[in-house]
Amino acid sequence: MSGRAPSIHAIVVVGGGITGWSAAAALKKRLPALAVTILPLPPPPDALADRIGSTLPSIAEFHADIGLTEADTVVRAGSGFRLGTWFEGWAEDPPAYVHAYGEVGRPFGTASFHQHWVRAARLAAAEPFDGHSAAAAMGRAGRFVHPREEPGSPLAGFGYGLQISPARYGEMMRAYVRHLGVAERAGALAAVRLRGEDGFIEALRLDDGSELRGDLFVDCTGPARRLRSALGEAFEDWSRWLPCDRLLFAEAPPAAELPPLDKAVATGAGWRWEAASPLRTSHGLAYASAHLSDGKAARALRVAAGAEAEGDAVALRQGRLAEPWLRNCVAIGDAAVAVEPLEWTNLHLAHDAVDRLVSMMPDRDCSAVELWDYNRQANAEADRVRDFLALHYIASRRGEPFWRAAAAAEPPPSLAHTLSLFRERGRLPYYEEETFARDSWLSVLLGQDVLPRRTDPLIDAVAPAFADDAMARMRSAIAAMVPTLPTHSLYLQNLMRQSAR
Amino acid sequence: MNVIIVGGGTAGWMTAAAIARLLPTRASVHLVESEAIGIVGVGEATLPHIRAFNERLGIDEADFMARTRATFKLGIEFRDWGRPGDSYIHPFGTFGRGSGEVDFHQYWLRMKHEGRPVAELEQYSLACMIARLNRFELPSRDSSRLDSTFGYAYQFDATLFAPYLRALAERLGARRTEGRVVGVDRDGESGDINAIRMESGETIEGDLFVDCSGFVSLLLGKVLGEPFQDWSHWLPCDRAAAMPCRTETALTPYTGVIAMPGGWRWRIPLQHRTGNGYVFASAFLSEDEASEAIAAAVEGEPIAQPRLLRFTAGRRERSWVHNCVGIGLASGFLEPLESTSIYLIQQAITGLLELFPEKEISPVDRDEFNRLIDLEYDRIRDFLILHYHATERTDSPFWDYVRNMSVPDTLQEKIELFRRRGRVVKYREGVFLDASWIAVYLGQHIIPEGHDMRADAPSAEALGRAMESLRAEIRATAERVPDHVGHIARYCPMAA
Repeated sequence: MSGRAPSIHAIVVVGGGITGWSAAAALKKRLPALAVTILPLPPPPDALADRIGSTLPSIAEFHADIGLTEADTVVRAGSGFRLGTWFEGWAEDPPAYVHAYGEVGRPFGTASFHQHWVRAARLAAAEPFDGHSAAAAMGRAGRFVHPREEPGSPLAGFGYGLQISPARYGEMMRAYVRHLGVAERAGALAAVRLRGEDGFIEALRLDDGSELRGDLFVDCTGPARRLRSALGEAFEDWSRWLPCDRLLFAEAPPAAELPPLDKAVATGAGWRWEAASPLRTSHGLAYASAHLSDGKAARALRVAAGAEAEGDAVALRQGRLAEPWLRNCVAIGDAAVAVEPLEWTNLHLAHDAVDRLVSMMPDRDCSAVELWDYNRQANAEADRVRDFLALHYIASRRGEPFWRAAAAAEPPPSLAHTLSLFRERGRLPYYEEETFARDSWLSVLLGQDVLPRRTDPLIDAVAPAFADDAMARMRSAIAAMVPTLPTHSLYLQNLMRQSAR
Repeated sequence: MNVIIVGGGTAGWMTAAAIARLLPTRASVHLVESEAIGIVGVGEATLPHIRAFNERLGIDEADFMARTRATFKLGIEFRDWGRPGDSYIHPFGTFGRGSGEVDFHQYWLRMKHEGRPVAELEQYSLACMIARLNRFELPSRDSSRLDSTFGYAYQFDATLFAPYLRALAERLGARRTEGRVVGVDRDGESGDINAIRMESGETIEGDLFVDCSGFVSLLLGKVLGEPFQDWSHWLPCDRAAAMPCRTETALTPYTGVIAMPGGWRWRIPLQHRTGNGYVFASAFLSEDEASEAIAAAVEGEPIAQPRLLRFTAGRRERSWVHNCVGIGLASGFLEPLESTSIYLIQQAITGLLELFPEKEISPVDRDEFNRLIDLEYDRIRDFLILHYHATERTDSPFWDYVRNMSVPDTLQEKIELFRRRGRVVKYREGVFLDASWIAVYLGQHIIPEGHDMRADAPSAEALGRAMESLRAEIRATAERVPDHVGHIARYCPMAA
């Protein structure tokens, strides 16, 4: 093995939000030979992965990989469950729709379920697409149970995310990081010192004059990119497709009955959200400053939330780094990808980046071919998240100038490809590193009334009456089952009680 | 839709049967073929994907195997590729149990890097071990079991497969016309094909024309003039000398692929004979030399004289142009080194079914079809080139050429990445997945300098014990599997 660079040993994680703690925990737990040090700088208000409580189903895998169970992440951390999102007002005509995680409908015959639904919708007014999802029905009814193991059960094919309370969750993760043996350094960052010959980061200088050295540096400091800004930050701007550039947050006391669906309600110049955890109900508004002043936004949010906005509006520049990993510094979370919280991908992208880092740990020279593979995957993932979010705007139908402009934007090529295939015959092309499953894409497309011009000829063999009957049976099985399930709040209380015993 | 298929070989009848079976209300199928032309009969050896195709068509496996005199196939043995004397199997299965967070070969690499005793990689693959013992049984469907960690395909007589599918297609209502195509009528404005004219004087009109005419590429190449992308600078073999013989050795449940001074030869055991052929580059070896070499190499009494085939590696730039879709050799050719010929036919058929047009063909559908076919060709191409390029052979000008040639960037990146820490560029679509790439890289001496850091987690002792117990379990499981010959005799014997 002559000529090979030595292995990476010392890793420095910078950032004291959920992203930083999670990165440190995963690195130490999964690669125990590493010496991991964290410099927990307080997370800035625009680091959304550290601040948004709604998470995707992938969080369960992240927890399992680092050895945490729901006793830690739900019971101890004060989290709730979430089955998806309720979208209201994104298109004027169709009613609100639910994007729940997991299967919608069951395939029958020779083609996928949605082809049958589309045919029915083209012939007559069909029942809503999400009416064939048990998770969506549970969510609408405020109920929750864990998915069942037995195949064939209507409760088998769904996923769920957590509704975390970032402050409490962050404390839990911090305690776990200490327990794992990660070294914690106090202090503020004064400067990033680069090595002359190759521009790698050699050390971080802290405000007390001391230095923090390492082989690899993980930047979890949010959009300010406190480390990466010293190396280069070529950035791909997404504002053409994702026009919101301001966020406002507010917090209200927790609700008595916790809805397991977050709300995303389109408003005149953006959208607002509402997400309920056992410890708080968080509200927020995403909007475009060209169409709405910060003052008016704050008033709108106060009316919706029944609480004052927390702090000033946060500026948001949506997009991603051209190369999230450069030399010996990898940007994770909002430092790498900045997107609005629509569809709640912020922490998910951070988790996937950490997972990728762990599984692709290179040698100390951070060779170009290994970074190329990392960046290729990370960028492919981020770009498809961008496409999925942009879909909500492009497929919107509202009259306000903000929405008319958003719907008229020329989509990115990969989204244009998806839309043209879908509009032609309901086909969805496959992309690598896709975050959202086919049924998620379908939920939004069909929920916002994007109907294919025709259906797949492979369903001809199934008569429309037969398909109608099969769909009606699915809906009635779901409708019969949902009222027998506990409410989300009751289910959480039982979980707390069981774990207290 | 009136679908006219030109050519009745494997591609033609597979297409006819699939459309007749799966789109009975949308399409009528009319196939024209000429018995005078004959068929190439590509792909005696197949990939596991063909099972899904047969299942969709409602084909009974035992009946199909008996009629095509088929045997089972667990993988491909590559002999003499990396160095003379080498032998490795590319299995239709995993290394290790194929579960777990870290790929099995990473642990194997760690043992190597630490200088610890570890068996050959194939001893940790159930598919390889069953194959080496010349045994076979169907895999378990229970994914928690070790004996679910392999798949299988068939080796069959391709000249019997087309007639088998023809009978099926005709039962399902496909029409057949015998005779030569002598002309084509095109729309003056759009350039679409309106009809084909037969030697008999008959004119056959259609909405969609499927070109399954083989190498001549009658519609796609000759009539529509779609350019051919020549890949022979990367895949220089352009001839094959085929020579079947009697089966006198063990009935192996795998295809043999043996490197030769001017290319390689195949060995495909069927129930009634063994197929052999020398695939070679005419720039390095004459046709006579190849014929002599294959006659000398066959392991049983020859059944026929060597038969010569000529081809060029590459493909038509687009497979679907106007209202004409090329399927099989009419759209491109990749040598049968990894048994991909029938697979490529199958993927084109699947794409056509999923994107089946209306009379007014949408460019969206056509572009998407071509994109899917591009992806398949490019990935297989890279995988094939790897076999030639990853060699230490210096025994002939042919091997000197392929060893030193420059390869596509897409392949160069994959090789470099593997060399670092054994990482395989992952994609979920495409025919050859991780285990295939790993088998070829390691089988041909591309040994990574490092390994995945996660493989360092277990203690050396615990890892050594776990690897050894897995090896022993795989061995014991393989030894309980019945003989390949016996399994065929019970399950799918050919008619005497």
